[in-house]
Amino acid sequence: MKTLFERVFAGNDEMYALAVKAVDEAVAKLGPDAPATFGDTAYSLPCLYAMTGRKVATVGEAKEALETTIKDFMTRNNRTKDIFTSGVATALSAEMIELMKWATHGGCPYEDPVMGHFTDAQVRELGVPLVTRDIPGVAVIIGAAPTAEEGVELVKEYQSQGIFVTLVGGIIDQCIEKGVKLGFNVRCVALGRELSSVAHVVSVALRAAIIFGSTEPGNYDAMWRYTMDRVFAFVNAYAPVDDMTVACGAGAIQLGFPVVTNDTEENNMFRVPKSLIIQEDTSKFNATSLEARDIKIKITKIDIPVAFSSAFEGEIIRRGDMQVEFDGSRVDALELVRSKELGEIEDHKFTLIGPDLDAFAVGSKNAVCFIADVAGKNMSSDFESVFERKFHAYVNCMEGVMHTGQRDMIRIRVSKAAFEAGLRLKDFAEVLYAKLKSDYDAVIDKCQITIITDPEECRKFRHEVAIPAYDKRDERLQSLTDENVDQFYTCIMCQSFSPSHVCIVTPERLGLCGAVSWLDAKATNELDPSGPCQVVPKAHVIDENVGRWEEVNEAVNKYSQGALESVTLYSIMEDPMTSCGCFECICGIEPFSNGVVIVNREHAGMTPLGMTFSEMASMTGGGVQTPGFMGHGKHFIASKKFMKAEGGLGRIVWMPKALKEQVAERVNQSAKELYGIDNFCDMVGDETIAEDPETLMAFLSEKGHPALSMDPLM
Amino acid sequence: MKLITVEQMEAATERLLETGRQVGADSWQQRVKNQTPHCKFGEEGTCCRICTMGPCRITPKSPRGICGCDVHGIVARNYLRFTAGGSATHSDHGREICHTLYQTREGGNYTVKDPEKLKRIAHEWGVETEGKDIYDLAHEIAEMALMEYGKPFGTQRFLSRAPEHTQKLWHDAGIEPRAIDREVSQSLHMTHMGCSSLPEALIRQSLRSGLSDGWGGSMCGTEFSDVMFGTPKPVDTTANLGVMEKDMVNIVVHGHDPSLSEMIVHYAQDPEMIALAKEQGAKGINICGVCCTANEVAMRHGIPMAGNFLQQENVVLTGACEAIVVDVQCIFPALGPLSKCFHTKFITTSPIARMPDSDFVEFHAENAGENAKAIVKLAVENFKNRNQDLVYIPEMKTNATVGYSLEAIKKCLDGVTNSQVDVTGTTKPLVECVKSGVLRGAVAMVGCNNPKVRPDTAHIELMKKLIANDIIVVVSGCSAQAAAKAGLLSKEAKEFCGDGLKRVCELVDIPPILHMGSCVDISRMMVLAADVAKDSGWNISQIPLVGCAPEWMSEKAVSIGNYVVATGIDTYLGVDPYTKGSTEVTELLQGEHGIKDWVEANFTVELDIEKLGDKMIEAIEAKRVALGI
Repeated sequence: MKTLFERVFAGNDEMYALAVKAVDEAVAKLGPDAPATFGDTAYSLPCLYAMTGRKVATVGEAKEALETTIKDFMTRNNRTKDIFTSGVATALSAEMIELMKWATHGGCPYEDPVMGHFTDAQVRELGVPLVTRDIPGVAVIIGAAPTAEEGVELVKEYQSQGIFVTLVGGIIDQCIEKGVKLGFNVRCVALGRELSSVAHVVSVALRAAIIFGSTEPGNYDAMWRYTMDRVFAFVNAYAPVDDMTVACGAGAIQLGFPVVTNDTEENNMFRVPKSLIIQEDTSKFNATSLEARDIKIKITKIDIPVAFSSAFEGEIIRRGDMQVEFDGSRVDALELVRSKELGEIEDHKFTLIGPDLDAFAVGSKNAVCFIADVAGKNMSSDFESVFERKFHAYVNCMEGVMHTGQRDMIRIRVSKAAFEAGLRLKDFAEVLYAKLKSDYDAVIDKCQITIITDPEECRKFRHEVAIPAYDKRDERLQSLTDENVDQFYTCIMCQSFSPSHVCIVTPERLGLCGAVSWLDAKATNELDPSGPCQVVPKAHVIDENVGRWEEVNEAVNKYSQGALESVTLYSIMEDPMTSCGCFECICGIEPFSNGVVIVNREHAGMTPLGMTFSEMASMTGGGVQTPGFMGHGKHFIASKKFMKAEGGLGRIVWMPKALKEQVAERVNQSAKELYGIDNFCDMVGDETIAEDPETLMAFLSEKGHPALSMDPLM
Repeated sequence: MKLITVEQMEAATERLLETGRQVGADSWQQRVKNQTPHCKFGEEGTCCRICTMGPCRITPKSPRGICGCDVHGIVARNYLRFTAGGSATHSDHGREICHTLYQTREGGNYTVKDPEKLKRIAHEWGVETEGKDIYDLAHEIAEMALMEYGKPFGTQRFLSRAPEHTQKLWHDAGIEPRAIDREVSQSLHMTHMGCSSLPEALIRQSLRSGLSDGWGGSMCGTEFSDVMFGTPKPVDTTANLGVMEKDMVNIVVHGHDPSLSEMIVHYAQDPEMIALAKEQGAKGINICGVCCTANEVAMRHGIPMAGNFLQQENVVLTGACEAIVVDVQCIFPALGPLSKCFHTKFITTSPIARMPDSDFVEFHAENAGENAKAIVKLAVENFKNRNQDLVYIPEMKTNATVGYSLEAIKKCLDGVTNSQVDVTGTTKPLVECVKSGVLRGAVAMVGCNNPKVRPDTAHIELMKKLIANDIIVVVSGCSAQAAAKAGLLSKEAKEFCGDGLKRVCELVDIPPILHMGSCVDISRMMVLAADVAKDSGWNISQIPLVGCAPEWMSEKAVSIGNYVVATGIDTYLGVDPYTKGSTEVTELLQGEHGIKDWVEANFTVELDIEKLGDKMIEAIEAKRVALGI
């Protein structure tokens, strides 16, 4: 029998030796100057950079880092510090092994569904759901389960709780064998078949610390402190667990991630409370792990025949797998929340007007109206749209159901599997009822659901009730400008992740994650008066043009615990608003044209700034003010307050084509109102026009882009 | 966080001594100078004055006393008498507690605050509790406990708490303690002129007399104090002289028996007394403790701790002490004359500790309430006599979390169990930390201050060294207060730990050094060691655990040392017991084939504190190697 320390040290030595071999082979094959990168990250090599502050770009630099920086961590005293740093050295060695695969292969060496590396954009995308605890934790499953059935059961259990699942080794093929969907969009990612691939999930945790926590790369203690306090990850390692896995486990424990295994003391495993836990009954891995990492699953037990979990939010239903479809672009399909008087509503009542799913032909397109009538003493009609927008998430969380769009432009697909499992419209009603009541219990006292599928009734309802309601709401939204409200709101929902960031949410400037509008913030404040959204009265203006208020400064100062003294709401140059890191878009100034480039998270390509989204995003975030760069939501682009201090959205000179198309209508309308320009978006470059500043300038000059004649930005 | 250094404490003391010189006060610092050098025969234990044929002093030229006793017999006899003194003292404290338990009644001065613990002990002792009035039970158990002191037959009841292996060792070595008083009496009898002079027999009785304290009298003291005053649980408090309040009536409680201090604390909160204090121009009444009384009231009420043994004169020197109220043990007779230099009332309360220049207010369970109130009143009325010109309270105050009884430790450990795999109410999480090596082991650090060691330095420096090496420390008595004064009992002190202990502190939410109580509460440590042995399957002597008393001075400490070693825990001393004069006794206590053959543990004496720490760490690592962990 070895001691735990002997096992960690031996495992570390073994992984290190593999890394030395991989690096030496790569140097021999490619030469020391060959590039070495995972791509799509501004923090290469992420784990090494985070823990040591050292960057690596070539195979030769990798070798040097391995032989010096990583080796320095491999101390061998019989103290916990030594197994911790040796554990980290094991993860860093693993990362090197993976990097050499990328270097040698000239890109991702893995074939679908194995994913390996996460892009920065993916890490950022995880920010919001991790903050809201929609993803309550991250599971790292290593090795093969005793049987494929048991392994898949565990994966599904986590998925049903919204836990993000990552897989290493034998469990991957067990999932493939059993037909489990794998991929980032279903929050179940195969990292790789070799243990070294575990580095990719460590990389997610550490980049979260840099991106959201503004943790200084190379500050070892601050890194593990961040991950321990804020990243709710844990490891499940199936027996037999070898020394290398034990060593990786020591690294995980250093970062605050407990390890649960079914290997036994007879087989030289150890128990360390809340850190290394022996659970011989693998069917209890789930409960044991959640308890070990203090993850509380918010249970909304909804009695429907399919699973209900945020893990299924990104699930895609292809035409061939589809039972029926509701499509607002072809027929009448809509959703509507209406506030009513308490006496008008019978709580939990469900009415179906028209046929149910089993009456529709397979593959048919049908009409539908989802109507939720809600009432409550604190209900305000302003909240209708807030609740209604949640339908998207609620419906999507049903396994085998896909939802896109909103209002009368929704499209819903129900898979054959879900239909065969018994899913019917009453289950949709149950989901809407249960989620609305549990998420908004402070406001909604009663709720009843009506679903109409009779095509004639749908048409009538749409034109007589729904459209007038949407129009009325739009009118109200039009009138909701920063000028004619009395108060803004803070949003510090992200602080569990990004401790010094504060958003100020105004009617024309929604939270930069894109997820919190002024009405959302108002509703959140009503629901939880001492919660993340606090009222900021706008009583004392300092400078209306750049958007400076005394109360806003007081609020950011207070809620950032003094990290920020002042922000402006309408400028990207002067004390711009900070960002947490989970923003949808980032804009940065383009010096040649005097304009700004905006790029969204989904766009992986280059921008005329010579930086990708990830690189631009790495310039800011984590609650740090970086003049000239600002993270924001997509919706904000068309706002008349978008960099109003610098002349407004007329400064936009470049956006990715897809983003441009998404926002064109509203941006054109604002541009028309602000500058009298028609079809402004046609003057804005995209990747099909230019990816470098010279070509872009030529295009802008040809179009007579307004930014060229504006005052210099700098 | 920053720790308070010994240098800072010494500077504060120096400033107070200036006040002392101003008013013509004497000090222990001065008396140490007067007494130095100490008598070499005394220090080596080679002076015998048991009969009036002597005193006999052993030198190479006169190797035997008049009766013919050699140096080994003399040293061993002195050692046993020293032990018996300590054992008698602790055990008599326990006896007082048992008597008080007998006086408890519903609505009385003393009540049962932890009935569950009383019932647990009753079950242990085979007493039926079903349907019994809790006070009838208390009286029944009190009587049984009192019988432990004088029962004619059998051995101590609490011995059954020890692991079977330990009980067998005791049995085989012939050191199972019988009636507590009998062991003390027999010790005195054995050391009478013309009785034992065989070192081995005298040392064996020392262990037995020590065990009658640790697993008898002290354990009664601890357990029944918990029953009456509540079993300690973690509570925040403050420590060092800065806890005295300039604008308040300061009453300092000093000594050991919580029966007195509990009452004083109670009446200090009496609205009538507070009103009286305000009438006198004070903002209120501030109670703080010195010595083990401080430990008792801190761990049950969060009452601040003004200081430990060698700081007792300092509280008077602040000029802000209206009364220092004492019961028994470790009270400097110097407090009498010193208090006369100030307005301070020196109030003695026990017929056991009578001193010149004190106001004696005799304290019994029957009159506890009225006398406590009278004492508080006396202090309050004395506030007006304070000379504000003499007042100097050093601004030195640290935060501490105290009150880690065995029950509380287990509750904390429950917090890191996983309900899917673990049971609760055990020491297993601690065992797992030790087995895996995350913690290397544990040290029980106890004992007094002694001017032979720079006060508090050994305690503080050793603790710092141990926690930096991932060794958890449990403390009691004046050692605990040294830790508290430095800031080591605060949860923030995790910063000074190695990564393993630091992680444990964070997960369990404890300070790296656990305050287990006063010096009688070392009995708690014995039960902790016993439970760790049972939960781990190791013998107590195999656990990577050692005991340490780096600044000890009293007879009680020798009694403690004897029972700690006899329980199987190697014990490290920073002050020489008076045994240097005999190679045989030294070999018995410290060698590989003395008491170690009987109880699997022995003493190590090392006056160099740095080396003492290294030796303990080496011993712990050696025990790990022996266990293969």
